Amino acid sequence: MALDANSSESPALVQEGAVARFFRATEIDTRMLGMIAAILVVWCIFDIWSGTKIANEGLFGGSFLTPRNLWTLLVQTASIAIMATGMVLVIVMRHIDLSVGSLLTLVATISAVLQVQHLGPALGVGHWSIWILATVAALSVGVFVGACNGYMIAYLGIPSFIVTLGGLIAYGRGIGFYISEGVTIAPLDKTFKIVGGGVPESWLGPFWSWVLAVIACAAIAYAVYSGRKQRLRFNFPLRPMWAELLITGLASATVLGATHIVNSYPWPPKLIEQFALANQITIPPGVENRDGTGVCMAADKVVRCVDGLIFYTGYPVPVLIALAVGLVMTFIATRTLFGRYVYAIGGNPEAAELAGINTKLMTVKVFALMGFLAAVSAIVASARLDAATVSLGDLNELYVIAAAVIGGTSLAGGLGTIYGAMLGALLMQSIASGMQLLNLPSAWQNIVVGSVLVVAVFVDQIYRRRVK
Amino acid sequence: MKKTLMAVMAGALMLGASAVAATAGTVAVSWKTFQEERWKTDEAAIKAVVEAAGHTYVSTDAQGSAQKQAADIESLISQKVDVILVVAFDSDAILPSIQKINDAGIKAIAYDVQFEDPNALYITFDNVGVGRLMSKSVLESGHTEGNFAFIKGDKGDPNATFLFQGITEVLKDGLDSGKIKNVCESFTDGWKPDNAQKSMEQCLTANNNKIDVVVSENDGMAGGVVAALEAQGLAGTVPVTGQDGDKAALNRVALGTQLVSVWKDSRVLGKQAAEAAVAMINGTAIDALPGVTKFKDGKKGVEMNSILIPPNPITKDKLGEVIAAGWVTKDEVCAGVKDGVEACK
Repeated sequence: MALDANSSESPALVQEGAVARFFRATEIDTRMLGMIAAILVVWCIFDIWSGTKIANEGLFGGSFLTPRNLWTLLVQTASIAIMATGMVLVIVMRHIDLSVGSLLTLVATISAVLQVQHLGPALGVGHWSIWILATVAALSVGVFVGACNGYMIAYLGIPSFIVTLGGLIAYGRGIGFYISEGVTIAPLDKTFKIVGGGVPESWLGPFWSWVLAVIACAAIAYAVYSGRKQRLRFNFPLRPMWAELLITGLASATVLGATHIVNSYPWPPKLIEQFALANQITIPPGVENRDGTGVCMAADKVVRCVDGLIFYTGYPVPVLIALAVGLVMTFIATRTLFGRYVYAIGGNPEAAELAGINTKLMTVKVFALMGFLAAVSAIVASARLDAATVSLGDLNELYVIAAAVIGGTSLAGGLGTIYGAMLGALLMQSIASGMQLLNLPSAWQNIVVGSVLVVAVFVDQIYRRRVK
Repeated sequence: MKKTLMAVMAGALMLGASAVAATAGTVAVSWKTFQEERWKTDEAAIKAVVEAAGHTYVSTDAQGSAQKQAADIESLISQKVDVILVVAFDSDAILPSIQKINDAGIKAIAYDVQFEDPNALYITFDNVGVGRLMSKSVLESGHTEGNFAFIKGDKGDPNATFLFQGITEVLKDGLDSGKIKNVCESFTDGWKPDNAQKSMEQCLTANNNKIDVVVSENDGMAGGVVAALEAQGLAGTVPVTGQDGDKAALNRVALGTQLVSVWKDSRVLGKQAAEAAVAMINGTAIDALPGVTKFKDGKKGVEMNSILIPPNPITKDKLGEVIAAGWVTKDEVCAGVKDGVEACK
């Protein structure tokens, strides 16, 4: 991103076209733009295609571009996206972590066993403190195991590939299996489940979603403003005013658009009915078909006939967690000393060490951070499934690495962005979800996702060569 | 000499004499791996029957290696055991070892995993039957028409296909007449519950929640399906099938979010296999064993004598059976159950 923008600046020598001038002025990462375009194209194709099978309310008459599907898509992406943000830093530092999926299984198993077999019986099922203890335990295990990985890599000098390959074999299906005895641990604590996004309690609702969106827009405006002030202070070249406004506008529009979409997905009718029953609200006459199959899905109709009994979901908790992780990780990567060190080490480990960076400690920290994120994903994934199983994290490491790489992280180290990896995760899940929506054989899903990975890296390399 | 004596003994047994043999024999088991929890249950059942009949039980663990299993079997042959139960790690690679068993005049039993040798006895659960039972339970619960979703297992596992054969066989009339519509059908990589959850979410989206029945090929995936249904408030109204008798699944059956878990009680399998082994020591011919039928649905179509044990579909009103059998505790099955489930009272 910023790096490429700088390297492309060989002023005056190259005659810039209007498009190049535009991108230079706005400093928009063209690679990110490409990924977003790819995602949008995939979405449109799936919507049109699914529309030819069953007509629905999507933008092009299909099922893909409906609030419901996009909402589900975000939830499905959350777990991989969270881990992908950490994998970026690991890969940027010229390491790899193959153990994240296995660690996810281990963490999920430990927290589930703790909830179901120990805390539940001891404190009483549903006790308020269960989810807190289970979460703390999960995060601690994640950080600890991650730090151990890092220690072995940094201080014992074992290559990260080997350490984490060992972890891949040992954690989930080794230690995890030993702890759970291979049994599915379910159901989980009711409060803990909120993190998974499958229950109404985990939906923010339209009001708070809008509040959040407005805060986000304000934050964007402030970030642009303070960025400009900083540049003025240090006499850096400024973006033209129109570019500043355009970026603020585009970013805010994206936030508001996304909020509008999640706020247009109504509660499933059955849940509205259950809610009405539980809260002794009489459902007004006029809604005959409440079996989850018809009328109630047409949002406008329900609004008219059951005033007050239509609820919209808003942002689900797992998506909020993923977004928060993305924000914090972007801040860490681009705005902190820690982040600078990571990229410096990735760019040239020897130089970084000579410059006085404690590269060994940094390695431990980055792997501990990765472990922490794997634990967050474990909480999200197990809460969503409402169970911990021995296969929960299987193959996740590959999807996480693929997401980071599709998102532009270079396996040679030194390059990679957090948002790129998250978009990579979204692209992969879009393809998988779309193909499931079309009921295509899963063999095809594997073929397509595998091909996308290779093609994405190929396109990325062409792009980099041209930029140079 | 010993064999003649045994034949005489067997004759006596068949006339209803005591099951204690004068000459104690040895029953051996070559396990493919002992890492999975379930085999311990099988072993306990086998051991109990063998030792009650006055014979000796020995076993080897191939630790998931075809080579180790071949060596294990050679060592069992040289120990001059009478019957070897083989849980084959690789059903083709095992065949030379089976030939050696035959050559040594020892009886072989294919336990749970088939290898195709006409001299051996094949004893297993009726896997096609599991699929049939899933469909039957659905039909018997009154769901005879509408949109059916099929969540199949891993595409690399032949069992997923066997199961699906049985499932569609029973639903054939409905599918042919169009009363039953197959609206979603997907394999699930690695039988992973979270993959099944995603498939189900997409299936519900594609069909606007118009799903009447979900046939899931095992309990783990049924868990993912129920989680997806729950998020739409449909858990408990849409019947979901499964198999394995998982604790969590039996709990769901009690809670009403899952219709049936087809249960393959490995103790029944172990007991029947051990009884067959004891009868074989006593000289009973394989095709004269109780419950033996001809089976030739294997890969190569070799006809074998086999005992196919019918699995037990556990629905809400049969939960008492799994509790009584000691498979799960009442607390495990009944956790969170509020309304009147007979077994939880």
